[in-house]
Amino acid sequence: MNRRFANAWQWMWSILRRRALEHGVDEELQFHLDQQTEKYVRAGMSRDEARRQAMLRFGGVVRVQEETRDQIRPALLDDSIRDVRFGARILWRAPGFTIAALATLAIGIGATAAIFSVIRTVLLEPLPYREPGRVVGIWETTQDGVTQNVIAPANFAEWRERSRTLEHLGMVGWTGLTAIVGGEPEKLRGLQCSVDVFPAFGVQPVIGRNFTFEEDYGGKDGVIILSYDYWQARMGGRPDVVGTALATDGGPRTIVGIMPPGFTVAGEKADFFIPFAQTVEQLRAYSGRAASFGVARLRDGVSFDQAFTEMRTIFSQLERDVPERNARRKVLLIPIQEQMVGDVRPALLALMGAVGLVLLVSCVNVASLLLARGAAREREFGMRTAFGARRVRLVRQLLTESLVLAAVGGLAGLFVAALCHRGLLTLVGDRIPVPRIEQLRLDLPIVVFTMAVALATGLLFGVVPALVTTKQPNETLRDAGRHGGSRRLHQVLRTLVVSEVAISLVLLAGAGLLLRSFIKLQSVDPGFRAGGVLTAEVDLPSTSYDTAHAEVAFHEALTRIAALPGVVSTAGASCQPVPYACIGTSFWRVDRAKPGNGELPSCQVRPVTAGYFKTMGIAQIAGRDFSEADTAGSTPVIIVSEELVRQQFPGENPLGRRLRVDFNHVSGRDDVEWTIVGVVGSVRSTLDGPVRQTVFAPRSQRPGTGMTLFVRTAQDPALLTRSVIDAVRRMESQAPVETRTLDTVVGNTIAQPRALSILVALFGVVGLALAAIGVYGVMSYSVRERTQEIGVRIALGASGQSVVRLIVGQALRLVVVGVALGLGAAMLLARSLVTLLYGVEPLDPWTFTGTALLLLTIATAAAYIPARRGIRMAPVDALRVN
Amino acid sequence: MADRGDVLQGTLDMLVLKALQLEPMHGWGITERIEQWSESVLQLGQGTLYPALYRLERQGLIRSEWKVTENNRRARYYSLTREGRRHFSDELAHWQRMSRAVNLVLGATLQG
Repeated sequence: MNRRFANAWQWMWSILRRRALEHGVDEELQFHLDQQTEKYVRAGMSRDEARRQAMLRFGGVVRVQEETRDQIRPALLDDSIRDVRFGARILWRAPGFTIAALATLAIGIGATAAIFSVIRTVLLEPLPYREPGRVVGIWETTQDGVTQNVIAPANFAEWRERSRTLEHLGMVGWTGLTAIVGGEPEKLRGLQCSVDVFPAFGVQPVIGRNFTFEEDYGGKDGVIILSYDYWQARMGGRPDVVGTALATDGGPRTIVGIMPPGFTVAGEKADFFIPFAQTVEQLRAYSGRAASFGVARLRDGVSFDQAFTEMRTIFSQLERDVPERNARRKVLLIPIQEQMVGDVRPALLALMGAVGLVLLVSCVNVASLLLARGAAREREFGMRTAFGARRVRLVRQLLTESLVLAAVGGLAGLFVAALCHRGLLTLVGDRIPVPRIEQLRLDLPIVVFTMAVALATGLLFGVVPALVTTKQPNETLRDAGRHGGSRRLHQVLRTLVVSEVAISLVLLAGAGLLLRSFIKLQSVDPGFRAGGVLTAEVDLPSTSYDTAHAEVAFHEALTRIAALPGVVSTAGASCQPVPYACIGTSFWRVDRAKPGNGELPSCQVRPVTAGYFKTMGIAQIAGRDFSEADTAGSTPVIIVSEELVRQQFPGENPLGRRLRVDFNHVSGRDDVEWTIVGVVGSVRSTLDGPVRQTVFAPRSQRPGTGMTLFVRTAQDPALLTRSVIDAVRRMESQAPVETRTLDTVVGNTIAQPRALSILVALFGVVGLALAAIGVYGVMSYSVRERTQEIGVRIALGASGQSVVRLIVGQALRLVVVGVALGLGAAMLLARSLVTLLYGVEPLDPWTFTGTALLLLTIATAAAYIPARRGIRMAPVDALRVN
Repeated sequence: MADRGDVLQGTLDMLVLKALQLEPMHGWGITERIEQWSESVLQLGQGTLYPALYRLERQGLIRSEWKVTENNRRARYYSLTREGRRHFSDELAHWQRMSRAVNLVLGATLQG
């Protein structure tokens, strides 16, 4: 008992003293070795021989020491603790190296963790639906092959009745309303949902109830269900609001339910849900397509393919039965997850690929840093091996050092990841529809993932240097006269430089492609001048305004705004110029026979006020603008785009010709003939899409209670925001107004490619910087190694220039190999970016040449600096190094 | 290994204590002293010397302190503790008794 206690005491004491003791041991053994060497030298041996003999004579003290200790204590654990402490101390003593390595790791690991957490939130986490894999979205395609187009309600009514493979077929449509909460008008975004939509998702309101069949198909409307977030934000989460009425611009609606937190209908943002309130007969009578899509749930035992096949069969019957509605169209069934993330998945995967490459470069970088530094310690290890330390122990110690580095790097990476999250959320904002991005968080699984990545990284970048540095003690001892590392080490270092250059080239090439693509996208001419225009979306309450009154009110507001100082011109339209058309429909020339079903050309219709073209900077090519003389009662007139003229009136004068356009006149009739009175320049409704044929109608003949106002000014348009809102409010205090500059409106349509190219470019720059640091580090190491040789060369008459050329040339050979390998890999990988590129081929020669040149330049610069320093140092210091 | 003059198990401690009897010494000095006294028959493997020194220090028979040598280098000097001196004289007496006995036995066998 007593003895045991003594042992324990001894053990503790020795641990406490370990640090001082161990340090002393090294010094003591070194002293011994030196004394012995001196003795041999005095006896007439050469210094090298004396040292070798001294070591031989010394025998295996380290081994003996370790083995003794191993017998006394639980060696593995003890050694690990010791290794960690030792590793930490080594790192602490070389702050420059440690900071460089940690920064590299933190960036690589942090970026990986951030992007992975986005992928987990957006793509991997199961959707908050019952059996989300069995929920499908239903869409149609257009004749010209646009997939995921809106559906015809009449078709929906048929699917609902005929399908045997799907249950809970429901329709979802986008809508908006103005709610008056606390006297303030507020524009809400919402969805019309038929009674089957929530059951299709397998989700019920947390409070209250779903719509009833009567409220929806019975047309007994007047109810509303609120989203959890809106209920929390505007009603303070009070459950007693259920059953009360919400005042809206369409009259009061009874709040019947609150949906659960985080619930969305397939990722569509919505503050509220209201029923369609259309009878099946009304749906069947609907001639065109509505801004809507279908949702449904696969019946038990039915596979997705079976359901799709059945829907195709039903649709081909419909195509036969109702060709004027369905000719040359198809039905599309799509898993709900796919529908939600289809747009963002390729971008996210590209990002994951990019951060993976960054992580790889940082691994290689840290490995080469470790190696170059390990070279300095190679003699230490050689000596320890000579003293009898087993190689396994040395490898383990080096690996522990790497792991300590990686663990600290991982912790720092968590902070980087948190920063990345904040940056990402800012970048995404409201502009890019990324489903569930708001649920992004840094929780335990992500922390675990990050640390796992860090440790894997540590092993990856640690194992090569550890093996190389401890290899072949004999060689090390033989080289001991020379300054620095072994040949093997140099080989490995060269390999690392080559791979670092190759990887960062892949990264940069990808970034280059995306950037070029984005620049092309951004420089697409939309057909109007967006700079200097403020837009204001205004909705007048339809309870107190009919369309005629609304038109008068809007006219008044525009006149008032036009009088504001700094305003150049004003106009109004039924919608923003991008990213959607106000109305998409079909048309045909009155003087020609109506084309057959499915052959009808389609156009975008934009009801606008007089002065729209001037304000938007759209060129008037022929004829006239709309004017005050174009009223509800006058001849129906339209102005068409050049593109429409090109397609419908090639070589003819379109002025005075008439079109039948499938949309309602102010009279409510859709059989009106519209006379072309003007031609304007072509406009785009999306920057990346084709130029579509466009028809502009006067607002007076196609009015509404909502209007988007456009105000052109010579100054910064944002400065007008306050006075424009005031002008509108003076006209109608209950009208919600949303203002944005037209630049923002256009910019938001390309926010996703913008964010993606910014991020990948950022990663590309990081990769390039890491590669440059890598080349720089390895070249400075190699120059230090060769200081003597350089000195001799210069002493023998070589010019400094030629020596610099020699060194830089050597670096360049490595870089060229890396660039070549990288180009090959980049060309293989570029194809995977094809869906993300606009107007740029995946094998764009400019991008690849530019990237290669950039890397060569940077790498040359990175090699040049140490080379310069090398010849400045030589020859004086050169001869002193040894 | 015979030419190195392996030290009998258990006798190393005694040799070290003996070497330290006159004056404090560093590790290398101890090997030199023993080699000298033994007319180069006993050449200590240093791999055994230092573990022995640390063990003796832990047992409280010797203590160590860092000093500067005549060549101005730091070295760890070992010296006997009081406990160490007593231990050494006990061991020495024991050894002498034992070695005399062993010699007697070996001598008798040779004569017989």
